[in-house]
Amino acid sequence: MGAALPSALAGDATRPGQHTWLHSLVRWLFIAVSLTFLAAVLLAPLATVFVMALERGLQAYLHSFADPDTAAAVRLTLTTALVVVPINTLFGLAAAWAIAKFEFRGKSILITLIDLPLAISPVISGMIFVLLFGLHGWFGVWLREHDLSIIFALPGIMLATMFVTFPYVARELIPLMQQLGNDEEEAAITLGAGGWMTFFHVTLPKIRWGLLYGMVLCNARAMGEFGAVSVVSGHIRGLTNTMPLHIEILYNEYNFVGAFAVASLLTLLAALTLVVKTLVERTGYRRR
Amino acid sequence: MSITLDQVTKHYAGAPVVNDVSLDIGDGEFFVLLGPSGSGKSTLLRAIAGLSGVDHGRIALHGRDVTHVAARKRGVGLVFQNYALFRHMTVAENIEFALRVRHMRAGARRQRRQELLRLVALEGMDQRLPAQLSGGQQQRVAVARALAHKPEVLLLDEPFGALDAKIREELRRTIRQVQRELGITTVLVTHDQEEAFAMADRIGVMNLGRLLEMGAPHDLYSRPATRFVATFLGAANLILARRTPDGIQMGANTVAAAERSADVDEREVVAVVRPEEVEVAASREALSSGYLARGVVAEVVFTGALESLRVRLENGVQAPLLAQPDGAAGASLLVTRTQHEQRGFEIHPGQDVAIGVRRVHVLPTPLSSFTACAASPALADALSRQPLLAELAVRMKTRIAMRAEPQLGVPEAACAADGPFVGTTALASQADCAHRAEWLLRRGAQDLLVLPEHAAVPQRVLIHWMGEGSRSATLAVSASVLRHLSAEAVYVGIFPQQSARVRAQHGMRDLLDARSEAQLAHGLEMRTELRFGDVAQELALRLAEAPAQMLIVGVTELTRFAERFRGLLDGGQWPMLIVYRGSP
Repeated sequence: MGAALPSALAGDATRPGQHTWLHSLVRWLFIAVSLTFLAAVLLAPLATVFVMALERGLQAYLHSFADPDTAAAVRLTLTTALVVVPINTLFGLAAAWAIAKFEFRGKSILITLIDLPLAISPVISGMIFVLLFGLHGWFGVWLREHDLSIIFALPGIMLATMFVTFPYVARELIPLMQQLGNDEEEAAITLGAGGWMTFFHVTLPKIRWGLLYGMVLCNARAMGEFGAVSVVSGHIRGLTNTMPLHIEILYNEYNFVGAFAVASLLTLLAALTLVVKTLVERTGYRRR
Repeated sequence: MSITLDQVTKHYAGAPVVNDVSLDIGDGEFFVLLGPSGSGKSTLLRAIAGLSGVDHGRIALHGRDVTHVAARKRGVGLVFQNYALFRHMTVAENIEFALRVRHMRAGARRQRRQELLRLVALEGMDQRLPAQLSGGQQQRVAVARALAHKPEVLLLDEPFGALDAKIREELRRTIRQVQRELGITTVLVTHDQEEAFAMADRIGVMNLGRLLEMGAPHDLYSRPATRFVATFLGAANLILARRTPDGIQMGANTVAAAERSADVDEREVVAVVRPEEVEVAASREALSSGYLARGVVAEVVFTGALESLRVRLENGVQAPLLAQPDGAAGASLLVTRTQHEQRGFEIHPGQDVAIGVRRVHVLPTPLSSFTACAASPALADALSRQPLLAELAVRMKTRIAMRAEPQLGVPEAACAADGPFVGTTALASQADCAHRAEWLLRRGAQDLLVLPEHAAVPQRVLIHWMGEGSRSATLAVSASVLRHLSAEAVYVGIFPQQSARVRAQHGMRDLLDARSEAQLAHGLEMRTELRFGDVAQELALRLAEAPAQMLIVGVTELTRFAERFRGLLDGGQWPMLIVYRGSP
């Protein structure tokens, strides 16, 4: 039986449309394996987050958010995302536009550079900014003379987050814009439309779902970034701790309820992002 | 004039894609730009629309120079091959786009939209999205959208390319009807000759970035001036023939009386015989037209209204057939017959038939074929494989004959080979080249192509003539050569140094005369340059300025020829075509 199975399988595979009991057995087997795997690796840890967070009851769970440091961390994370996502959206649009619509020297270098943050370790991304703006960095002395702080302050966190998230919008838009081509824009121009009119009435509607998808991905990473931010933030409670950093601190202090409560909030935000993404995809595909 | 193009040139990566195109399109005219892909026709259309700039030349719409006017201000309507409708807008929004740009009121917009939808027969489709329409309907919307702002010129870039045959025909009729109704000047770009015939008032045929010929469909079809147009517009048998005082001689038989022409020289010519002008019959006596030869039917294909035959000419016929419509080699003739003719005389493959020719058209080109001439057959054979010569022969769909002259260059020696020099004589560039060239020219070679061993296809062709007697011949030869190259043409006028001031004015007039003659008589657009000094020296200097150049030079006398041309010919690095028209 065991020996007969593979050959029977191979025979079936070459004849589509034939549903034998063996065929459906294999199908269920595959589904079962992947679901089990998913449950073990993904769902169980997720569930653990919520179970641990609610271990001492809802009261304790809600109480952990009353802690001013925790509230500050939530605020910081949201502020960072709110600043970083729009800036990277603009940058991504500009870069994708330049790459898809024009031929220029150094185009391939630009494409490679956009991918750079995806390739290098987040810790190194953070280090770069410390080396640039830290006390012993290139601009460190100048910054101190002018009483400006970037590292171990909000600007550093934003810069590091921006650095690690800037590929997302551009990456999403470049292939889309290349595939959609220039014809509609050219048609608009021959019909008398100027640059802004063409952009807002033709290009933007054409790419809006891709753009939104890129923004959602960018936002997810901006809120969840740990490595790069950890290097530049300095872990000052209530000031420069983002949610992921705060979770680590709470955990290290054996405040499991607090740590997992914040973790559950971050998870919920991520889930929300994914829901938005799914909705965007559905609407987008239907409209496209 | 609605659209005027003056020497429009556009380069891409150094090579010209549109090469010195000049063109006038009249009010309300339907002009079709026809050419194979890569011929520069779409680039030219985009230049008229303003979507791509030009490197040289001027574009005027209704007398207004728009060369440097932005596309959005040119007021043209453009229809793309793949519709380019705004996919997120409804049909109504698409059509009203140009009106919204112009801030027209909603009521007026709606009225204009209804009008346009009626014009393209799409009433009631206002609220559909482009994705909900068929390809033909989408293209109708695109036409309506392009017409919304009442443009003075409508440009259509292969508008039927993405549609199937039935829809294509229907849309073709709609567009022609709309165009007549509005009387709007229209330029359509296509690679489909049938489409061009069906729609055009006038056709311009483009190849290699050049506008080769223009004219009414019927004129272009029956009297093409170039091989390319003859074979691209419908099928054609190209045949190397001889023009004699009695008529056009193909092989042993003279099939048609020569068309009246000032050129009474007996010489080799390129004859065009359309497949429908060939007659087949059981015997020579049964033919109603001039007898050409006997042949064997190789292939019979039924295509509906017409029957298409391929007839292999029998041995003994001296007429080498240059080109077959499908590029197949061998002396076989393409013939088409109507149902009526088929009923009169039924034909099967393998049948032996008599072939007659009803009508022959002779191309005005002075370049018929090439003869590679060298001291031995082996050298002639090597010369015939020279890259530029081989490439030219392929592009001109002609043959390279070989001629061995062991005494080549020996003073006072006579020609070894029998017969006159046929076509353009090719000679390898080497140490003693000037003497050999003179030797050949004195013995009857008229057009002499001197080829360095590795010379490739040139990017620029310099033209010059010494003596007015060779002027029109040089222009004719230049035009013929340039039709098969994507190179730019430059006429170099050279005057003696000492008379610079006196002659300058005179020289300018000569340049302009030369340019307009080239344009009018040969459809050749060329740039002009004026230089002062010794002719051979100046030409050598000019040639040394850039790589990949070729020289065409006209001469009327051979006195001191070798001496004068030694610097240019002996071991020269550039190909050179000498056009000799001496007084007898």
